[in-house]
Amino acid sequence: MRTSIFTALLLAAVTVPLSALAADNLDDRVNRLDTELGRQSETIREQQKTIEELKEHLKEQNTDKLPTTEENAGKSTGLFGGSLMTNPYISLVLDAKGYASNLKNRDLESRGVPGFTTEGRGLRNGFNVDAAELFIFAPVDPYFNLYVNVPVTDSGATLEEAYFVTTSLPEGLQVKGGRFKSNTSRLNSQHPHAWDFADIALPYKAFLGSEGSGGENGVQLTWLPQMPVYTLLGVEAFQGDNPLIFGSDPNWGPHAFSAFAKTSIDTSDNSTLYAGPWAMFGSTNSTGILPDTGLRGDSSLYGMEAVWKWKEGLQGVTLQGEYLYLVQNGDLTATDPAGAFVSVDHLRRHQDGAYLQALYRYGRWRICARYDRLELFDNTFKIADVQQSFGGKPWRATGSLEFIPTEFSMIRAQFTSDHSARDGRVNDEGILQFVFTIGAHPAHTF
Amino acid sequence: MRNILLTLSLTLILASPAFAGLNVVATLPWIGSLAKEIGKDKVSVTTLVKPSQDPHYLDAKPSMILAGRKADIIMYNGLDLEIGYLPLVIEQSKNPRIMTSMPGNFDCSRFVKVLEKHAIVDRGMGDAHPLGNPHYHFSPTNILHVAEGMTNALAGMDKANADYYRANFRSFSERFKEKQKQWKSVNLKGKKFVAYHKLYEYLAEEFGFKLVGYVEAKPGIPPSAGHIEALIESMKASRPDAIITSDFFPKHESESISAKTGVKVITLPGDVGNMKGTDDYFSFMDKILAALR
Repeated sequence: MRTSIFTALLLAAVTVPLSALAADNLDDRVNRLDTELGRQSETIREQQKTIEELKEHLKEQNTDKLPTTEENAGKSTGLFGGSLMTNPYISLVLDAKGYASNLKNRDLESRGVPGFTTEGRGLRNGFNVDAAELFIFAPVDPYFNLYVNVPVTDSGATLEEAYFVTTSLPEGLQVKGGRFKSNTSRLNSQHPHAWDFADIALPYKAFLGSEGSGGENGVQLTWLPQMPVYTLLGVEAFQGDNPLIFGSDPNWGPHAFSAFAKTSIDTSDNSTLYAGPWAMFGSTNSTGILPDTGLRGDSSLYGMEAVWKWKEGLQGVTLQGEYLYLVQNGDLTATDPAGAFVSVDHLRRHQDGAYLQALYRYGRWRICARYDRLELFDNTFKIADVQQSFGGKPWRATGSLEFIPTEFSMIRAQFTSDHSARDGRVNDEGILQFVFTIGAHPAHTF
Repeated sequence: MRNILLTLSLTLILASPAFAGLNVVATLPWIGSLAKEIGKDKVSVTTLVKPSQDPHYLDAKPSMILAGRKADIIMYNGLDLEIGYLPLVIEQSKNPRIMTSMPGNFDCSRFVKVLEKHAIVDRGMGDAHPLGNPHYHFSPTNILHVAEGMTNALAGMDKANADYYRANFRSFSERFKEKQKQWKSVNLKGKKFVAYHKLYEYLAEEFGFKLVGYVEAKPGIPPSAGHIEALIESMKASRPDAIITSDFFPKHESESISAKTGVKVITLPGDVGNMKGTDDYFSFMDKILAALR
């Protein structure tokens, strides 16, 4: 830079006559400085250009190296269902039904399964919204995951489930605690919108109620040993609040317990067999078995489930069946409709039930069939050692067609011929069900 | 009864063959094949998804949960591709080694340059993956990054064999770079394809061809008649070289479009092992590029 100024000065000195220099001294200086300024800004421009180029180069090098673990370590992997959109992961499931029956609403409400339950149909002719179910999930810390399920119905919000699951116990052990649906059998732990039909199988309704055992306060321990074959063992202790088989105890808790074993093998790349026995037992304090009675005693419910499933992409077949057997003993207190005491007699029940269902899915369509019946092999219902007769054996036959546009929506048309009231009056019912999910992606439980 | 069960299970545990190496569980075939390249005989690899299975629609099968139970490390595609079953498999495996944020929980997508990260996503867009297009295994550049990440993960877990894994990676990466030269010599620039699903974006990005339409109206949503008609119209103008698909997807739509437009259908392997002669990543990529050439 200095040399160029010097050169400029020198050139000026040589070429410009001295007289002129004296006269044009100021003009000349201004000109010189102007030229100089021009040159300098030229240099700056060039340097800026070089800087830009270097920056560009650096960027390219960085993208070549990208991405490293460290730089991406903080990003959500979306592994637990909701990706970046939701944390904790939240989803809402709407379960709405249209219902049509040959029976009047009044008859549906009082229509129980005599000898099993006084619980009515639970659906009314016309429009029904079963629930908008809110699911919330998140890992608590490296040791626990937390799940909450709050169905909002027209009678308000209830806490169906709220439980933690451990994630860091050794040796394949896991503890679940809080309020949850017992995992003894697959139908019991499923939420109503996830059932393969619009309602639960008849043996469940008869022995446990129309939502199975429902959310119970308790604790569960499961163990998955490292064996060549999938084998899951579990035990549970519950407060025992289910009003039909257990019922709240004025003195003690917990008073309901369960145990289950599940085993499974793959019968081919695309098919799996899954089966296992389970049992539930506890003390009973129930007013739901016969009208105007209360039972205090003990109950044991034994079950066996088996599922075979073949699935290839969006095509599949599922065969599923369960057998349930109830043993119940206790004192049956009869009251008159006004509530006044009438008598106490010993009640002894040995009753069973089963269902069998087959599902076939092709693309977005699925057809399903189910047959369920009670008192297959045993119908012992003895009050003071006298066998009671309630009429013909209860059974139902159900068929349905589902349209499943995506994993987030499902429309089901179901027809049932229901012979469970044992009075010769058949309930021929049609249900149009809509299930929609928003929020976190639903899990594909086997 | 309980005693018998306990004895039985103990016997089974003790009797199962002891394998000294790392138990690697891979969700997808390409991940399993990569793990085998790096781990060779120091690892035993179980792959949950079979090459013939569409990775979108699987259930958390008990056999997968059992595999998770035995895993030292679980390697998965990520970007929500396995969202339907992997969270269940991991939690129900009751295996603390593979829980999220543990070293045994290996998300391959952490090492790739993700395409199509959506700023705004809703399910009206179909089965769009908000974290980005998850099918990055069609990009060799990304795969090499994943292999490197995998090497570090294995070396970190099994320090005694760290040098072994690194040496395997070096030889793999040399072969890979040699192959990459071959692959890059395939000139697909300027070619145009219609794809069944948004499966080939990484392939297009890396090899410079264009995707000018999709048979699916939206990802995961089967096409309507109207959509197919519009696609056929647009194909008359865009004149693509072929319709590309994989055998997870229904054939009849692609074939009927082909019949109406005269544009041929090319079936590409969807994953390593999905078609004959695609038993490793090299032959998988060879097959794809040979088909598109």
